[in-house]
Amino acid sequence: MSQVAPADVRAGAPALPRAASASPPAPRRRYVPLLYRVAAINAILLATAVTVTIALLAPGKVSALALDGELVVVLGAVALVVLANVYLLRRVVGPIQALTAFARQVDYSTLGQRIPEAEPTSEAGELALTFSQMLERLQAERREATGRVLRAQEDERLRIAQELHDQVGQELTAVLLGLSRLSAQAPPGLEENVLAVQDIVRDSLEDVRRIAIELRPEALDDLGLPSALAVLADRFAQQLGLEIAEDLPLSLPPLPPEAELVVYRVAQEALTNVARHSASSRAEMTLECDLHRLVLIVRDYGLGLAPGHTPGTGMRGMRERATLIGAQLKIDNRRSGSGCEVRLEVPLETQR
Amino acid sequence: MTSLAPPPAAERVPPRDDPLAPTRLLVVDDHPAVRAGLRELLADEDDFHVVAAVGTAEDGVEVAKREPIDVAVVDYQLGGRNGLWLSRKLKRLPDPPAVLIYSAYTDGVLSAAAVVAEADAIVSKGRIGSELCQEIRSAAAGRRHLPAIPPRLGESLRRRLDHQEQAIFGLLLAGFDTAEVAGTLGLSPAGMESRLWELLNRLEGIPTTPRT
Repeated sequence: MSQVAPADVRAGAPALPRAASASPPAPRRRYVPLLYRVAAINAILLATAVTVTIALLAPGKVSALALDGELVVVLGAVALVVLANVYLLRRVVGPIQALTAFARQVDYSTLGQRIPEAEPTSEAGELALTFSQMLERLQAERREATGRVLRAQEDERLRIAQELHDQVGQELTAVLLGLSRLSAQAPPGLEENVLAVQDIVRDSLEDVRRIAIELRPEALDDLGLPSALAVLADRFAQQLGLEIAEDLPLSLPPLPPEAELVVYRVAQEALTNVARHSASSRAEMTLECDLHRLVLIVRDYGLGLAPGHTPGTGMRGMRERATLIGAQLKIDNRRSGSGCEVRLEVPLETQR
Repeated sequence: MTSLAPPPAAERVPPRDDPLAPTRLLVVDDHPAVRAGLRELLADEDDFHVVAAVGTAEDGVEVAKREPIDVAVVDYQLGGRNGLWLSRKLKRLPDPPAVLIYSAYTDGVLSAAAVVAEADAIVSKGRIGSELCQEIRSAAAGRRHLPAIPPRLGESLRRRLDHQEQAIFGLLLAGFDTAEVAGTLGLSPAGMESRLWELLNRLEGIPTTPRT
């Protein structure tokens, strides 16, 4: 079971960075497989038993064996029994080897898989079944932990946003008001300086406001995902001058809040990247949904990714979030035309 | 309903008889420094008279019930009940003041909610030092000034509403007042009142009741 341990540790602590769990496994010590060890022991015992039996029953035969064809018959019989032994052992050990191979490839993306023929009709089957059940438990725990981590992160963001607004924002507003008053009373030479300071404070206030808005998708809870995305697009249009063509469905099947949050955050990050890096002022945002999956696509008409581009922290964070809900995030240059395409695919059946 | 622009400037009778009397203001902000700053800034203007500066929406209603107010200058976020709640309460008074909301977040959603709350103007906090006085004078003169609601956002908001709410929202956007809307849709004043509160709750990103 030592092969399973890493998956256990990972599933129990999904907050760990992905890189830590993806480190190469320690080199395994080579050993003689169980099948060959048991087969070899059986063969040695069998050969010894045959030799001892012949020696006891017919002591004269042992030396005479070398002379006639009976040696061939005895050796042939021993070989046959050894082969039959290997065949039978293989059937017993095979499922264990299959289980080992399966356990080796279990990770985040395959936690949902089950061993197909796990039935409690043998010890190996029992082991496979227990392993399957353990995976199920881990998946349930992982989902719960994922939700907890995402919620904690969102709560923290909300708290910071409120703090920014309620403290820093208010104080800057008070400073702005004081400066306005000062500029009206200032002697002619000073008025310009006061106005310049006022501009700086106004910019700071604008920054605080922008950061607070980025931190809290308050529309998500109240309006649902499609409308929250529309509000998001509206804000990007107003504040950053992005022209966003949306194609959003009227309604969606009920999604777990974590999944909605991830879709919203990925859209937000993708639009932020368009505004910051693409050198394009046009983008498309579509949300498609069928019975099996929800797909968010954000495209732009800009420069696209440079060759050998490494994703920034924002997008790496998005990828982690996507992995947590079993979704896939692809960021690529568009196949036709210029620009970049961000595609998030959320499988719906594993979300329920 | 095809137009989603905020209602056109309504021609209203100036609320006071004497055009030279100073505009009577009520300031509502939960942050003491902002409240004091606003009071001082506005008191410096000859044509303004700050009647009171209070910290909560409830206190704002109390003051407006006792004393005549021309323009209420209100922060959207007040810690407890917010500025739009206050706006709806003030507009139910026999002689309602104009309501100017200032907020750090002035987007289409706030505009839409402000239409339902019958607020008259929205000012961004970043502009509060330079443009506030002008906006107050404009509101006192009976002009409405709300940021436009982008058509797509309006469409998306409307999808969240039921049939009757859509009708109310559409008529309010077109510049009808609540009494006219109630009359058109055959709603009793009490029914209209409760529908408006529901609509406001639904449209606002943040609930009108205190956060828990």
